[in-house]
Amino acid sequence: MNQGTTDHTETKTISDLDGPETIVNARSVRYVYSLPEGRKIHALTDVSFSVTRGEYVAVIGRNGSGKSTLAKLINVLEVPESGHVVVFGIQTDDDNHFWDIRKRCGMVFQNPDNQIVGTSVEEDVAFGPENLGIDSSEIRLRVDRALSYVGLSDLAKRAPSSLSGGQKQKLAIAGILAMMPEILILDESTAMLDPISRNEFLLLIERLRRDHGMTVFHITHDMTEAGRTDRILVMNKGVIVMDDKPSRIFLRQAELVDLGLDVPIYVRLAFSICRRLGLECREEYLTSLDAAVDAVSHMLITHAPRLQDPKLISDNRQVLQLTSHPSEDIGTVFHQDEPAQVDQDRMNTSILIEVSHLSHAYEERTGNAISDVSFEVRRGEILSVIGHSGSGKTTLISHLNGIVRPQSGSVLVRSASGDRVYDTKRNSDVRQIRKTVGLLFQYPEHQLFEETVEKDIAFGPRKLGLDPDSIPNRVRRAIDLVGLDETILERSPFELSGGQKRRVALAGVIASDPDVLILDEPAAGLDPVGRRAVFEYINELKKIGKTIIIVSHNMDEAALYSDRILVLSNGQLQCINSPEALFSDMPEIERIGLDLPEIVRLMLAFKNALDINVNPVVFDLESATEELIRAASALRDMQTPEPDGGAHA
Amino acid sequence: MLKDISIGRYYDAESTLHRMDPRVKLILFAVYMTGVFMISKPEGILASFIVVLGLVVLSRIPFRVIIRSVRPIIFLMLFVFVINLLTMRDGRTILRFWIVRITDYGLERASVMTLRLFLLIVSTTLLLSLTTTPLKMADGLESLFAPLKKIRVPVHEMAMMMSIALRFIPTLVEETDKIMKAQASRGAEYDTGNIFVRAKGYASVLVPLFVSAFKRAEELAIAMEARCYRGGEGRTKLNPLKMRTSDYLWLVLLGIIAFVPVIVEILLEIG
Repeated sequence: MNQGTTDHTETKTISDLDGPETIVNARSVRYVYSLPEGRKIHALTDVSFSVTRGEYVAVIGRNGSGKSTLAKLINVLEVPESGHVVVFGIQTDDDNHFWDIRKRCGMVFQNPDNQIVGTSVEEDVAFGPENLGIDSSEIRLRVDRALSYVGLSDLAKRAPSSLSGGQKQKLAIAGILAMMPEILILDESTAMLDPISRNEFLLLIERLRRDHGMTVFHITHDMTEAGRTDRILVMNKGVIVMDDKPSRIFLRQAELVDLGLDVPIYVRLAFSICRRLGLECREEYLTSLDAAVDAVSHMLITHAPRLQDPKLISDNRQVLQLTSHPSEDIGTVFHQDEPAQVDQDRMNTSILIEVSHLSHAYEERTGNAISDVSFEVRRGEILSVIGHSGSGKTTLISHLNGIVRPQSGSVLVRSASGDRVYDTKRNSDVRQIRKTVGLLFQYPEHQLFEETVEKDIAFGPRKLGLDPDSIPNRVRRAIDLVGLDETILERSPFELSGGQKRRVALAGVIASDPDVLILDEPAAGLDPVGRRAVFEYINELKKIGKTIIIVSHNMDEAALYSDRILVLSNGQLQCINSPEALFSDMPEIERIGLDLPEIVRLMLAFKNALDINVNPVVFDLESATEELIRAASALRDMQTPEPDGGAHA
Repeated sequence: MLKDISIGRYYDAESTLHRMDPRVKLILFAVYMTGVFMISKPEGILASFIVVLGLVVLSRIPFRVIIRSVRPIIFLMLFVFVINLLTMRDGRTILRFWIVRITDYGLERASVMTLRLFLLIVSTTLLLSLTTTPLKMADGLESLFAPLKKIRVPVHEMAMMMSIALRFIPTLVEETDKIMKAQASRGAEYDTGNIFVRAKGYASVLVPLFVSAFKRAEELAIAMEARCYRGGEGRTKLNPLKMRTSDYLWLVLLGIIAFVPVIVEILLEIG
């Protein structure tokens, strides 16, 4: 207690002397929690940091690195085992005053649904102020103000369950604003949002900082989001391993990768080009995307080797080939309505699912969820289905294995051997269709229910009536394919980590050995390492001949991994094409209102900065690097090289 | 299918019933219910129907919405009707085949019981769920039962639990639907096979549903704590309940009207 008071005065004096006030101060914090079976987990070991008023701090780290615990220590949802946390000059383990801290800290959690208490939007916003015992008329004022600030005034009387995920998170922010806090803690609040809502959410946070000088803690595993803050704390195994401003953190890219973290694509490209040119990547290149584009463009112009370099010329050809190939495709893929000129038989056996003129409406008054959609799924391809939230993606894929039956139009599925065609409209065909087409919805870990992993994986094959003797083998093969160890089979699915659960759920579908696998947002909510692992086994599955349909929000991943991309918007099929052809067709992109992959946008920025002909349609880092070097070399060849990068003129 | 459940389905409209203080509605509901249980004659039932009809007019809710809320219990109503019809032994036989004997008294009882059930459901949905937001209802109950706090009944906590339960019904219904689809695509069947197969099918839905409900409860508790919830002590309300003069008037007026069917029966009895 004594120590607490000294702390208090100390903080005061420091803030008086140095200007910015220290708002959070943690010293040598240790936090251990015990699991029911007696095991102890060291969530935090010896953590110290302090934050001044108005700072925007990102806390980043892999799952289980202790970042959420750190957040909960600030608003006294947890108290450290040893060490001290002082917030607003009050020690958090002071039982008499922790409410004073908590009411000045707002916290937004990950799952939008599980933090809404009120039965209507405005009642939920009022919940916090009600707890603080504020007058009814004052609560009314605060509720209205908070709702209009986040842009939800029109929905004040609506039931929270009728809101979208992004709206729910804004509602959570409004509920906190109404309490008028000084610190805002975002505990992975963006993890379950689609890219558009995510950006809107972050813009809202940035506006809050400008308008109210709010101190913000943003816990995330998205490095691009962390890059928008003033300062990043990198956590690993309960320790803060880095604490610096974003550009200096990005400079330590190699270490970050070792920690299982990612860096924004512009940072990776800057590093890649520096390495290729044998130059050192400096911090000032990494302060923002624009800075990186400027610095790297300059570097390219002054240092790109001349085209005469034989190695480079061969590289060029590769790049050119890669990019010229798809445009030939456009004709055949694009005009689907024209009768195919290809040999009819060959076409038919290579098509596994044929969707024609499919429409579906859940309720008459809400209109069609999808309307008049026609396309084919080809054997062995990876097809990505892309579209904003509410564009009908989930409705569409639910039709492909007969979970939802066509209201009009049809879905035909070809059997493995190719000699039978099943119709999802026929009841007798549905079981065969589910054997042929496996479907895994978003967050599939929620469907696990058996006592052991083995039984859970065997559930599907057994239900689909596959030979019982083959099941143990199928289970083992499936668990192997998703990269898990056989020892996991005896364990309960409920004691696994989130990532392991998701793999088990996937194994449960693979075990039935379907020809087509449909995965709805397979990487949603995973950290970078988890995401990469998902796409690794998707590639594995493709290698053994599976046809894969992925529903995705992430344009970069869709472009990089798929053979074709299907774009849905407002329930209508906008186009279906190879990624190269799709993203080469700018007028079409604009017509659909499609987002470009980040890497393509970055390449366009370079194209502008360099003012030369760069092909922006590349989806991986190596091709991007080579394309930029090729383009810059060509430019250098055309002009007399000047020492100070005079090409700008 | 699951979307038809009408508990907690508030129907937004401007009407006398919507504006009425929830406590008034709760009391009226109690009065009306007592009445419905006391009546046993067709005349009484008829009078009750007229009262309900009056409430429908006061509520300004379209008929189809009310009919929709009755739909899920049609099976129950049929069941009550058939059981009463077959088990009632008194009265004059009007139909006989095999071991079944249907009497005129049985028919009357069965009809009365079924219609009572119907009235009960319609008045509940009208007075309570369709015209009262769950939060108002919880507030009303909390306020009506507040005296019980003196004998340590956790009235506030119960009201809070109720309103949270109502808040999460749509969320859980949606989740059930999702899980059922997910398990169905793994081959689970809920409508075929013998009882054990079906039970197993339902386990594949219920287990994940419970697991997620517990997780939600845990996260919600933390979220509530983070928003400074610490029980009913010192809490204020955005919309505190206030009895207006019109509420008192309606209470008296409708209180009497709700009891009219009973009076009708008593008069018939005497007459």
